Amino acid sequence: MANKYKILIVEDESSILSFIKATLEANEYQAITADTCKNGLMMYASHRPDLVILDLGLPDMDGTEFIKEVRRNSITPILVLSARTEENDKVSALDLGANDYITKPFGTAELLARVRAALRSKRNSESSGTTGGEFTLNDMIINYDKRSVFVGNQEIKLTQTEYNILALLSFHSGKVLTYAFIINQIWGYVDGTSTKKLQVNMSNLRKKLGSKPGENKYIINELGVGYRMQDEF
Amino acid sequence: MLDTKTIVRDAVFTVIIPIAAFLLIMLLQHFFDAHSLIPMIFVLGVFFVSLKTHGFLWGIIASLVGVLLVNYAFTYPYYAFDLISPECVSSAVVMLLVAVMTGVLTTRVRTQEKLRAENEKERMRANLLRAVSHDLRTPLTTIYGSCTAILENYEQLNENQKQMLLGEIKEDSEWLIRMVENLLSVTRIDSKMVRVNKTPTALEELIDTVLIKFRKRRPDQEVTVKIPDEFVSIPMDAMLIEQVLTNILENAADHAKGMTELRLEVDLKGNKAVFTVKDNGCGIDPERLRDLFTGYLDRGNTVTDGTRNNMGIGLSVCSAIIKAHGSEISAQNLKEGGAAFTFSLEMED
Repeated sequence: MANKYKILIVEDESSILSFIKATLEANEYQAITADTCKNGLMMYASHRPDLVILDLGLPDMDGTEFIKEVRRNSITPILVLSARTEENDKVSALDLGANDYITKPFGTAELLARVRAALRSKRNSESSGTTGGEFTLNDMIINYDKRSVFVGNQEIKLTQTEYNILALLSFHSGKVLTYAFIINQIWGYVDGTSTKKLQVNMSNLRKKLGSKPGENKYIINELGVGYRMQDEF
Repeated sequence: MLDTKTIVRDAVFTVIIPIAAFLLIMLLQHFFDAHSLIPMIFVLGVFFVSLKTHGFLWGIIASLVGVLLVNYAFTYPYYAFDLISPECVSSAVVMLLVAVMTGVLTTRVRTQEKLRAENEKERMRANLLRAVSHDLRTPLTTIYGSCTAILENYEQLNENQKQMLLGEIKEDSEWLIRMVENLLSVTRIDSKMVRVNKTPTALEELIDTVLIKFRKRRPDQEVTVKIPDEFVSIPMDAMLIEQVLTNILENAADHAKGMTELRLEVDLKGNKAVFTVKDNGCGIDPERLRDLFTGYLDRGNTVTDGTRNNMGIGLSVCSAIIKAHGSEISAQNLKEGGAAFTFSLEMED
């Protein structure tokens, strides 16, 4: 494989850095590394990686500064490593433009799944004009032209709002969408009841798609953060 | 330290008590000549104010108000002030003394109570630290030992042996991860002054998250779930409640010997959502049942046999989290066999 994906890892803990690098290289990715925010930005500018894996707690600057800097002129996917258990840090990183997060400690399987999803979202956004047509996930098919949804061979009757949410999640499949992002995209404004409105719509959506607690085949709850459409099995 | 709420409360107290005393005297005067009672009732009022408010100021204000009221309404000349008579001055001095001395006493008692609470917290923390350090040593020994075994005998060990050692390293790391999650939960409550940050959480999303997490850790353990059909939103710190439920489920999976069914149920009772985790295993030793939720901390320095008692800390953490949500967690043995853990959370109205 001459044309490997290039992944920049910005992380100050050398042991974590080395196991991520080893995992990525064992899976046919090219890994480059930086141990400070500043070095990371330099490496980013000179190597133009396809994906950045970023630790939020860096010695010189907060990792969120890195996200802001990169997001000024690029949509390169950023995958955030967060040692913090507070949802707020994840949410603010996502709202700043990070594509996804993994909470430390994590396993390699989880890491690779997120890397694949992030790279796929990059491909999707590069090849514009794919919004028409169909989205298939497991036994669910979304037909964007007809605005219809099938599970198995059964058409699922959805309200406008429910369809819009489902379509939005499917456009960004594999990526966590924060509550605020979804609310803004669907209703265009945020007020005191919007989170509840979203939760109720999601509840109905799950019911119609036949999901039960512990067996959500399509949409994953990221409690306190948002929702994510599955994208691989 | 004193927020506006306590200041307002203290002020209201300072106003209401003398008025109440005044009204009480007016009432008594209807039935008999309560003249000799008047100063006593006001002294009592001042005592109450000093007792219930913070600092000296309120008591002093109340005593001055009392003196003025008595002087105005109940001493000759009636319904006029006479502030220079020796009677007035001396009653004012007495009431002021009562106010100041009560203030001194209550402040001292309060400081002592605070000190005691702080000591208690300090003791809990020391016990926790001791117990945790002890518990961390076992898995760390395995991890360190297995790693060095592999690194130093790489050639001599066969594939199978290496696989086995690595598997043990993984298992013990996972145990450590759970331990640290529990500790983080404790600090999270602690740093927020035993108050949690509640956000409305959809019940089914919570249960879904718990089940997925639990299934990842115990793929072989089925959980039967029964939750209300309608949409339920409960204000909570979702991460902490998630921790409580996974801890209880894991506790059952670890300790309920002979269990064939593990149930997670949520029922709505009035304004409350009642969470129950039931198993049909061997039940809990009645000896342990008493201090199930505090045992880990109390027995902190007498860890018995080096076996892992993650669940000791797990249940202590559950109890702390539920307390911080303004509720209680309880455990009991069921008549039909097995054990049940129950706690309830207030719903949105």
